[in-house]
Amino acid sequence: MTEKMVEQFRQKNQSLAGIIHLVAGMDEAAEKVVSILQEKEAQKVALSELPDEFRRILEQRCAGAGMNLLKPPYNHAELPGALDSIQAGVSWAAFAIAETGALVEFATDDANRLVSALTPVHIGIFRAADIVENLMDAAAPIRNFYNQNPRNATVSFISGPSRTADIEMRLILGVHGPAETHAIIIN
Amino acid sequence: MAESALDRLYDKIEKALGEKDKRDALYTAMKRGRDNRRKAVELLPGGEAFRKKVRETKLRCLAKQDELVDRFAQKVRQRGASVFLAKDAKAAIDYILKIARQRDAKIVAKSKSLTSEEIEVNQPLEAAGMEVIETDLGELIIQQVHEKPFHLVFPAVHKTLADVAEIFRKATGEDIPDDADAVMKAVRRFVRPYFLNADIGMTGANVGIAEIGAIVIETNEGNARLVSSIPDVHICIMGREKIVETVEDALQMMLAHPISAVGQHLTTYETIMGGRSPLGQGEGNSSRESHIIILDNGRSQMREDPLMQDALNCIRCAACMNICPTYGVVGGHVFGYIYPGPIGIPWTACVHGLEKAGEFAHLCVSCGLCREICPAEIDIPMMIAAVKDRYSKLERHPLVNRALMAAESMAKVGSATAPVSNWFMENKFFRLQMEKYVGIDRRRQLPAFRRRTLAKRFDRRGAAQVSNPVHRVAFFADIYANYNAPDLGMAAVERLESRGCKVLMPPQKGCGYPYIGYGDLNKARKVAEENVRSLAYYTQQGYDIVSTEPTAVYCLKVSYPKLLNDRRDAVEVADRTYEYFEYLEKLEAETPTDCRLHLVGNHFGFHIACHQRSLGSGSHAMAYLKRRGAEIEVIETGTCCGMAGTFGLKEGMLGYELSQAVGEPLFQAFRDSGLQAIVTESSVCKIQLQEGTGLKVWHPLELL
Repeated sequence: MTEKMVEQFRQKNQSLAGIIHLVAGMDEAAEKVVSILQEKEAQKVALSELPDEFRRILEQRCAGAGMNLLKPPYNHAELPGALDSIQAGVSWAAFAIAETGALVEFATDDANRLVSALTPVHIGIFRAADIVENLMDAAAPIRNFYNQNPRNATVSFISGPSRTADIEMRLILGVHGPAETHAIIIN
Repeated sequence: MAESALDRLYDKIEKALGEKDKRDALYTAMKRGRDNRRKAVELLPGGEAFRKKVRETKLRCLAKQDELVDRFAQKVRQRGASVFLAKDAKAAIDYILKIARQRDAKIVAKSKSLTSEEIEVNQPLEAAGMEVIETDLGELIIQQVHEKPFHLVFPAVHKTLADVAEIFRKATGEDIPDDADAVMKAVRRFVRPYFLNADIGMTGANVGIAEIGAIVIETNEGNARLVSSIPDVHICIMGREKIVETVEDALQMMLAHPISAVGQHLTTYETIMGGRSPLGQGEGNSSRESHIIILDNGRSQMREDPLMQDALNCIRCAACMNICPTYGVVGGHVFGYIYPGPIGIPWTACVHGLEKAGEFAHLCVSCGLCREICPAEIDIPMMIAAVKDRYSKLERHPLVNRALMAAESMAKVGSATAPVSNWFMENKFFRLQMEKYVGIDRRRQLPAFRRRTLAKRFDRRGAAQVSNPVHRVAFFADIYANYNAPDLGMAAVERLESRGCKVLMPPQKGCGYPYIGYGDLNKARKVAEENVRSLAYYTQQGYDIVSTEPTAVYCLKVSYPKLLNDRRDAVEVADRTYEYFEYLEKLEAETPTDCRLHLVGNHFGFHIACHQRSLGSGSHAMAYLKRRGAEIEVIETGTCCGMAGTFGLKEGMLGYELSQAVGEPLFQAFRDSGLQAIVTESSVCKIQLQEGTGLKVWHPLELL
């Protein structure tokens, strides 16, 4: 079942110009992130809130590669400028939707949203076990998230790079948000 | 004054018809929208059934709208955002200006919001000294040149790459080449400082969710994410009809909207936003706030208006624009005020005034296609009929429309005086006078009148004695089969009789669709009343109603129940009404017969009449002919042939000229198909296609 959904997600997200990577564990995921960042020659990288284990591994590897990290807690006084100069953003998705190819991110700090909104390259990571089949399956986790956060809370669906067809109906990527998006699926 | 609104419209149409490049760009955009939508819907489990669900959801939420608005407002406040219920545009603008003054705002960055355009918020903000920037690329392009959107989803589709490059060379002072990627990068550099430095970020909301007190904002570019997160102050302006009950309802809208607009299953970014989140940690966060303005501006009144309330189910997807034949030729600058396209007519009438809607309502040819594509299954044509009807109290229906609404009286005279009337119709001088004084284009080949109408022939012949009839049928002829083609009508009757049906021709009027099309609902209701009363007498005795004219079937099944408020007899008549070939198919399914394969070797192009789209889309006639050996291929552009009932008979811009412009791509498709002949069930499409393609056009019965 999971395998089928991973495949469906991959196809759909790719059709939306997303780039998909399947990896075997946290280690491999961190390695993949670093190799993408190196390929993009990204020195300044922003991380959103990540699961502890993954954050530790990733921070270590990024430091090893000599990268400059902007990470939570972000300092309000430095925003949004600090995020504007970032070359790539790395974030964690709560789940993904196989049928539509969307990553779904939960946030209670808007800086987390900017990690995937302001940067030219975005890398989103999630577990294969967290893929749901269709859009309606998103209702329950979203409802839970809002129940757990009675004040501010934001959910972002992200399906590939920022796109527009406003000039002669031509597809153009990256007009405001990332022109390149990677989804790393941890199995 | 009376003639001027119409004259202005003629001038605008003439200008639009002359702008070939713009028309081509628009046609491509709309065709792609329609085609992509169809492909995406085919991938949906259940296909078109999603529309039914959307309608159910919208109707449920509309029924308890006041309660949902309260619940939504309460939840939003609990989350720490402010709510303002604005009764009209002025109240909303005053509120926004008040916040702007309090915050000493200098820059307002907006993401695309039709509701903000509805209240025309940019001008007062600019007048108060603020710089207002649209961040959606299409909106930004037209903002730079001070135009209104040409298309709802692609506001700048009429601008070429070179135009756009020039616009941004001017705006930025940079030397930007005519290259899409270079333009995009320049736009990114140009807009970025506004995102970073705006004092106020203004968005609309595609949905409000009462259950959790959050709004949904959809974009493909991601501009709404930036506008709603970076500036200290977020202002959302939304219509109260956007509020749904549950998260599931919202997800349904998030699917229905982009799939209907462009055939995407979701927009690239869907943001569900509740309360006001901090931006990082630290002191400055205390000045972050979010204001949700819930706009009424006539909506509560719409809800109380039986003929207009359906418009509140609109989710603003623009699918109706993508399929509208005349919008597809003239575009949003002509076919619209602020709200464009078919649904723009009732919306304009309700929020901006009947006069404004009347300026472009005549562009609707009442083909009914918008109703067939609308994700909320809104009966847009009937609302437009109501707008035309109300507007006629301000400015009388044009003479030619009045003449065409009285088409049956004319047909009666024409038939009673045939063949003299036919001689006149062939007479060039007479046709010139008719064009000049009535407004019927002299180039149109009108079908000849027959003195012995179908009703007369049927009466003289009497009902055929069919022993042990399998079914009893009340035949509904409509004008063409009665006055112009009684042979066809008689063949239809006899074929039913030969299949064991007892056929009667009850007293009847023509279906009266022109009254709906041109907007005289009193007369439309009167005809509906009369026909339903007469036909219900037969349905109560077990008769089915069958007609060869697609528009007549549409009227009986769709329009009459609506006109008569779903009265029991009208619904009963509707339930028992069949398209002619649908009925024959039913008979053959009940009693399978060997058919003669006399059509083998014939290859026809089939034209689906617009009103058939809500019926069987011609499938029954095609199946019937195919079983007799014919090869049939549907040739279509996805919109109307341009005739639209009697619209294409009219002289001038709001008739023949526009009708030809609409029909041209379809004529071309038929010519390119290499097929020798066309089959269609509609009597009026037949005229248009015959003249437009030069090919022979048959009614299926003529082939049998």
